[in-house]
Amino acid sequence: MKNRTDRVKSFMQYLTLFIGAAIMFLPFFWMINSSFKTEKELLSFQSFFPKQLLIDNFRQAWEMGDFPRYFGNSVFVTVVCVALTMFVTILAAYGFSKLKFPGRDLIFTVLVSMMMIPYEMLMLTNYETIRHMHLFGKIWSLIVPFTSSIFYTYILRNFFLSVPDSLYQSARIDGASDWQYLWEIMVPMAKPSLVTIALLDAITCWNSFMWTMLMSSGNRNIRTLPFGLTAFTSEAGVHYNLWMAGATIVVIPMIVLFLFCRKSIITGVSRGGLKG
Amino acid sequence: MEVRIEDLVKRFDDVIAVNKVNATFESGKLIALLGPSGCGKSTMLNMLSGIMPVTEGKIYFDDRDVTMLSPDKREVGLVFQNYALYPHMSVLENICFPLKIKRVPKAERIEKAKEYARMVHIDDYLDRLPKELSGGQQQRVAIARALVKQPKLLLLDEPLSNLDAKLRVEMREEIRRIQRESGVTTVFVTHDQEEATSISDYIMLMKLGVKQQFAKTRNLYNDPANLFVADFIGNPTINQLHGIYEKGNFRPDAYENAIPIGRYQIEDGSRVVFASRPESVIVEKKNGKTVMEVEETYVSGKDTLCVLKAGDGRLRAYVDNDSAPQEKDLVSVSFRDRGVFVFNEESGERYYE
Ligand SMILES: Nc1ncnc2c1ncn2[C@@H]1O[C@H](COP(=O)(O)OP(=O)(O)OP(=O)(O)O)[C@@H](O)[C@H]1O
Ligand SMILES: [Mg+2]
Repeated sequence: MKNRTDRVKSFMQYLTLFIGAAIMFLPFFWMINSSFKTEKELLSFQSFFPKQLLIDNFRQAWEMGDFPRYFGNSVFVTVVCVALTMFVTILAAYGFSKLKFPGRDLIFTVLVSMMMIPYEMLMLTNYETIRHMHLFGKIWSLIVPFTSSIFYTYILRNFFLSVPDSLYQSARIDGASDWQYLWEIMVPMAKPSLVTIALLDAITCWNSFMWTMLMSSGNRNIRTLPFGLTAFTSEAGVHYNLWMAGATIVVIPMIVLFLFCRKSIITGVSRGGLKG
Repeated sequence: MEVRIEDLVKRFDDVIAVNKVNATFESGKLIALLGPSGCGKSTMLNMLSGIMPVTEGKIYFDDRDVTMLSPDKREVGLVFQNYALYPHMSVLENICFPLKIKRVPKAERIEKAKEYARMVHIDDYLDRLPKELSGGQQQRVAIARALVKQPKLLLLDEPLSNLDAKLRVEMREEIRRIQRESGVTTVFVTHDQEEATSISDYIMLMKLGVKQQFAKTRNLYNDPANLFVADFIGNPTINQLHGIYEKGNFRPDAYENAIPIGRYQIEDGSRVVFASRPESVIVEKKNGKTVMEVEETYVSGKDTLCVLKAGDGRLRAYVDNDSAPQEKDLVSVSFRDRGVFVFNEESGERYYE
């Protein structure tokens, strides 16, 4: 039986968690809630909930703001980016954890220390590189600079390092090549970490703003949703209900993705595949 | 498949784990690799499987030099000391894995995996993950996984060490049966001499990386090459008396009477160890010969094990229950010809008549 102080304690814990969750959730709720209201409703503060769920905002925003194109671009960039990043990350993490070559750990340390370089600084060099590759203003300019990540490699390498070598030996004796070992044993074992990494990367790609703005300044056809949304707010005039609908369109896919991957992420985080 | 190793050496930075070992493992035989912990058994096995590079020497499978061949091409099965099951795969998937790599069609490989799972009595747990199994069950999965690809050489690294006594005896008979049926050359690592003697055709006994003796299992007991072998094989351990050899007699340090042991190629006055198996000690009613006092007696089955004492010396002897003496009795002791050996005290080398 729980005694009184225990009950009070657990109540306080839940209350704290609830307040935290509410603070996190409120802006989202506000956004989604507002996106269903008419403009008058929104500005008059008469009712908290919309009188009827107005789908019309979404339709209007969708049509007015060239959202279909932005949406398509976003999906393309995100999918290709995540796929390439995962591929590169897996190979790099395997190389830096299980293959033996001179200078391996030194090279990796140098790479990790490069995480300290601020993103804004990289933007300049990336800009130059993209220009020299004649990709400026093309959709690939949104993908090429983000196909590898030292941070994800670092996370996955840590996981790979924790896999005992006897599994490698066992797989080799079972007839597997190095390549088969990586894809048949290591990658499936790392699945929770991989899903977490993929989702983080997807969110980063999806929300990427600065770089997209820079690259799409020459070609509005390669705008993705976040920048498209900003452009929309200035192009569509002051219609908060449409802005909110546009913002909801941008956010929903990531929320859906997260809900799908929730279980893997929780195991990935809780078993230390991902810390911090 | 016959396995031949020539001057095999494995050196780690400062230890020599395997030191110049030569041997030929006859095709279709079960060879036990026996020795105390750290003597290089696992190292030897790892070199045979190819997962550990050889420092010096050669390994031949039949007449093929496989010293540099990678493990996936050697067609060996290996059961690891720590099983090394794939943690994200079910029991069935684990057993299937070698076949999957060989691109055996799915239905066929599942069929086969189930057959081997039945053989090792693990077929009730096919859908479990390794972490949901006990140590013994994991071991059996590992054995099934090693066997399912029908290897030419089966290597087992202490595969029974985690089983309870009953299952252990059962499984070793099972391994014996499987080995006989499949005719696969098998190397079985163990540090348990009883396990080794009960299952193997040949035993290779090692100590600190050096081969001590490689012989038919029976010969190891009846004809040990040195004191270490004589001491390691046999339960209860062989009796050892230290003393001096003189004109066909052994003079123990522990007590007065000399023991006539016959002519050996030994200089008079050399220090030797006189070793005798407990069943080679003859215990009689007190007469003119060496007299000893019965210190303790243990009945085991139809025999009684007597611990005899003279001075500081102790001897164990097996006596028929009917003629067993009582504790504190005085008895006379002599020795049979069989199961009695003389060794150099310093080097442990055996002297022959
Ligand atoms: N990777 C290694 N690096 C350095 N020394 C090693 C390595 N592997 C084994 N050794 C050493 O080699 C010797 C033999 O080890 P090995 O594992 O072959 O012993 P073993 O006979 O299998 O013992 P056990 O019965 O305890 O398994 C030991 O002294 C051990 O410390
Ligand atoms: Mg070992």
